[in-house]
Parts: sequence; structure tokens; C-alpha cells
Amino acid sequence: MFDLESNVTAWSDQLRSNGKLSEEDVMELEGHLREQVDELIEKGLMEDEAFLISIKRLGNLNILSKEYSKVNIDDFWKQLLLDSDDPIASKKSRRNVLLIVLFSLLAGTSIRLTTLLGVDIESLTFFKNLSFFILPLIVLFFGIMRGVSKKLISYVLGIFLVTAVIINLYPSYSPNHTEMLTGIHLPIMLWMVTGVAYMGQKWRLGQERMNFIRFTGESIIYGSLIVLGSIVLMLFIVVIFETIAIDISDVVLNYIIIYGGCAVVMVTVYLAETKKSVVENFAPILAKLFSPLFLVVMLAFLSVMVITGKSPFVDRDFLIGFDLMLVLVLGMVLYTISARNIYHKSNIFDYLNVALIVTAIVVDTIALTAIISRLSVYGVSPNKLAALGENILLFINLAGLLWLYIKYFKSKIEFSKIESWQTTYLSVYAIWMAVVVFVFPIIFKFQ
Amino acid sequence: MDISKDLIAASSTPLILAILRRQDNYGYAIIKAIKEISNNEIVWTEGMLYPVLHRLEKDSLIESYWQKSDNGRKRKYYRLKSDGLLELENQKKQWDIVHSALSKEITREIEG
Repeated sequence: MFDLESNVTAWSDQLRSNGKLSEEDVMELEGHLREQVDELIEKGLMEDEAFLISIKRLGNLNILSKEYSKVNIDDFWKQLLLDSDDPIASKKSRRNVLLIVLFSLLAGTSIRLTTLLGVDIESLTFFKNLSFFILPLIVLFFGIMRGVSKKLISYVLGIFLVTAVIINLYPSYSPNHTEMLTGIHLPIMLWMVTGVAYMGQKWRLGQERMNFIRFTGESIIYGSLIVLGSIVLMLFIVVIFETIAIDISDVVLNYIIIYGGCAVVMVTVYLAETKKSVVENFAPILAKLFSPLFLVVMLAFLSVMVITGKSPFVDRDFLIGFDLMLVLVLGMVLYTISARNIYHKSNIFDYLNVALIVTAIVVDTIALTAIISRLSVYGVSPNKLAALGENILLFINLAGLLWLYIKYFKSKIEFSKIESWQTTYLSVYAIWMAVVVFVFPIIFKFQ
Repeated sequence: MDISKDLIAASSTPLILAILRRQDNYGYAIIKAIKEISNNEIVWTEGMLYPVLHRLEKDSLIESYWQKSDNGRKRKYYRLKSDGLLELENQKKQWDIVHSALSKEITREIEG
């Protein structure tokens, strides 16, 4: 069954992902497409025929983007913060900036108040609750900025509330392993819940989820850049005040770090959302740049391991390091897929992706054997069980990708099937995170 | 008959300006108007209209604003500015010169 709406959205998203058109340009072209489709349907065509004819008349998207970039090139940076002359748009942008300032202050103040009430900022209790100071505000911000329905927003905030109550009612006994696991897994789970507020009503759709994945990647890159800038600023503050012999006390610095930290998060979210169509997306570029390098490093590592016969997985820290690397590899595969034109034929990056996936599966298999042998030797512990679960999830994810890629190369399936496998699988991760956060403490008697 | 790409590109600006002189209009309707006045001889790759519109806007020949249509759809309308009107006059003169030169020379050649 042909779904006109999702096809129109996919078409506009592809324009967006080219990064050369502003949101307004995309809206204008989408409007044109819809008028054309409507008119053809009125003339008696089927929806899919009308859609195909209309996109053909609008022309090749790559050539179109290039034409746009010729006209727009020096406008891009202006659009980033100063909006167009459109009074409604500039009013909205002013409101958003105001919200960012307000929310940063709100988050900072609530953290500050908590520390004043005697909660140690370095304690585990604070660490596991950190998400609750910031993410709900981001949910609200998405709700206002992206016009998400109040009902959905209140559901999302409701999940936050219930989660906060549960994890703080759970006791924690030494050596606090499950509490630590909660602290690590909760932000990831809640970020995905926040994603629902980003995606709005259509959060089950693959396209929307892909957008959220893109958004997450861009946020990480923007966030890193802003943090680097902030560090330079902090150093500068300390140095210039030292020159006039005034010692900035830890108290003042603490304030700056707390409020600055909150502001960094809010500004990052705002920029990643606002600029998404203003400049080219960075995550896919970085992914393409580094995926061959990662492949070489992993292959080199695997061969050295085989030759010397040493396994790095005896040590727990190595295991965690490798899991992080697997996640990173998965991320790179994902961002290369996300920026890919689904109508294009397979290219060099598809083969590179497959090579990366195969290598990652080999590494993951070795890690899994190591974890299982540790489990059999040392017995079950929360950390090992969590690691086991995550590696199994990664393994299934990678194996599924490989399987679909092979089918795609044999021209048995469309490329979009690979995308939808990945976006659907996101839910599995969210569920696992929830299991670690809510069920693990009970299984392991809150130790 | 197919009109060459170069000719389409060269005629796009005066055509758009002339259509906007009638009244403010939005992209889809501009394309339709062009088809209509050329008896369907001038057919554009429709997407290409928009970069041209943006260039004209950037050169301050036209300006744009969003407006809701009756069916609730938001459309971006374009309006001819005074500089645009001057440019249209200017282009018209150029086309007249080219047209009269061509028609004199080509008719003479054919008549032999």
C-alpha cells in the first residue's frame, strides 16, 4: 500500500539531509510537491502515480541542491542565529533564545539548590539523578519549539516522574554496583524517552527515528565544540584575574561550572535543532572520514591478537573500552547510512560499512566468549550480566545489519529496509536500558 | 518542440518578472502561468524555478512573504519590487533588439 504522506516526508528529509537548503526552502518545495500531487489526483491519477510524476517534474534533487547552494552560499551563517525578516519567524527565534536562557538558569539553580541542601555533587545519588535536572527542560523545549502536543509531552514527563520516584525509592547497599549501573544506563534510557518528545506523535515512524539519530549525532559534535570553547574561556578567566592578583575562589568557579554546564547542554540542543538545515551535517562527514581508519585499526589489532595469542578481555576495563568502540563503530555505520540517498545504487561506503560490520562482529564474538568464560569462572555479577546483555544486543544488531546488507547487494530488498531495521531496533536498546535500571537492582538485592 | 536549455535559462528572469507584474504569486502558480502563456511549449524542470526566484530576491528585484491559502496551506508569495519593474523594462528592450535582428536576418535568409 502506497503511503503518500510518508513518501512526501521522505522526499523532504532527503532535501534536508543535503544540508544546502534552509528549512523555508524545503517547506516551499514540499508545498509545490503537494499542490502538484493534489492536482494530479484530482485529474484521476492514483496516489503513487501522482507522486512519481510530481517528483520527476521537480527534478533531480542533487542538481537542485547545487543550484540552491550557488544562490545561498553566503547566507548560511547569517541564518544560524539571526532569522529572516519574516516577523513571525524572528519573534519565534527570539522566544527560543529566551527559553534557552531561562531553562539554563532554571537547571543551574535547581542543581545549586540541591547541593546547598547537602547533597554532595560527587556522590552517586547526585550522579544517578543528574538527568532529571536537565532532560525534562529539554522535553519542554522540544514541546514548545517543535509544537508537540501537550498530551504527549505530559506522558513523557510522567515517565520521568515515575522513574525518578522509583530509582530514589530503591535502596542501595555496598558495593553499590546496581546503583552505579543505574547511573550509567538511566541517562541513555531517558535520552531515548526525550527522543519521543523530539519526534512527536510520529515517534514510531522510521523516518522520524532516523532524524532523531541524526540530531543526536549532531548534538554530540556541537556539544564537544562548545565544551572546548568553554574550557578555553574558563582558563582565560582564571588567568586574567590572576594577573590582577585576585584568586577566583572555588565557590565562584563552582557556580560557573554548574550554570555553564547547563547552558552548554541547552545551547547545544538549540543549535543542533536550528542549524540542521543551515549547514551540511557533520556526523556523516566525520563517520565517512574515520570509518576506513577504524577498520584498519581494528584489523591490525585483531591480527596482532591472533599472532601473539594474547586476549585483552581478561581485564574488565578493556572489556568496557571495547564495548565503547563497538558502539562507536555502530554509530559510524549508522551515520553513513543516515546520510545515504536511499535511491542511489550501492557505492564504496556500503562495502566499507559491511567490512566494518564484519570486523565488529568478530570483535564482539571474542568479547562475548570472554564475558561468558568470566561468568562461569567468577559467577554472576550485575556488571558482567549488564555487559553480557549489551554485547548480545550489539551482536544481534550487527548480525541483522550484515544479513540485510547481503540481501541488499543481491538486490533482494530495498535499502530502506536496512534503515528501518536499525530504527526499529532502537526500541530494543531502550527496553534493555529500562531492564538494567528497574529490574537489576531487584535481582541483585540492591547491592 | 523542445526549447534549448540556454534559451530557457536566458528567458527565465523576464518571464518570472512579467508574471509577477500581473499580481503577487507563488511558485506552483508561476509554473502553471508559464506553461499557459507558452501553450505548453516552455516546460521547466519545476524545482529549478526556486533557485531563480531566490536569486531575484537576493538581487532585490522581488520580495517574498508567507500567506495561508483558503485550503489552509502555507504558500510563499513573491511580489515585484520597483527595481524589478525597471529590470523588466530593461530586459524587454534587450529581447526586442534580439528579436527584431533575428527576425530580419532569418526571414531574409529563408526567402533567399
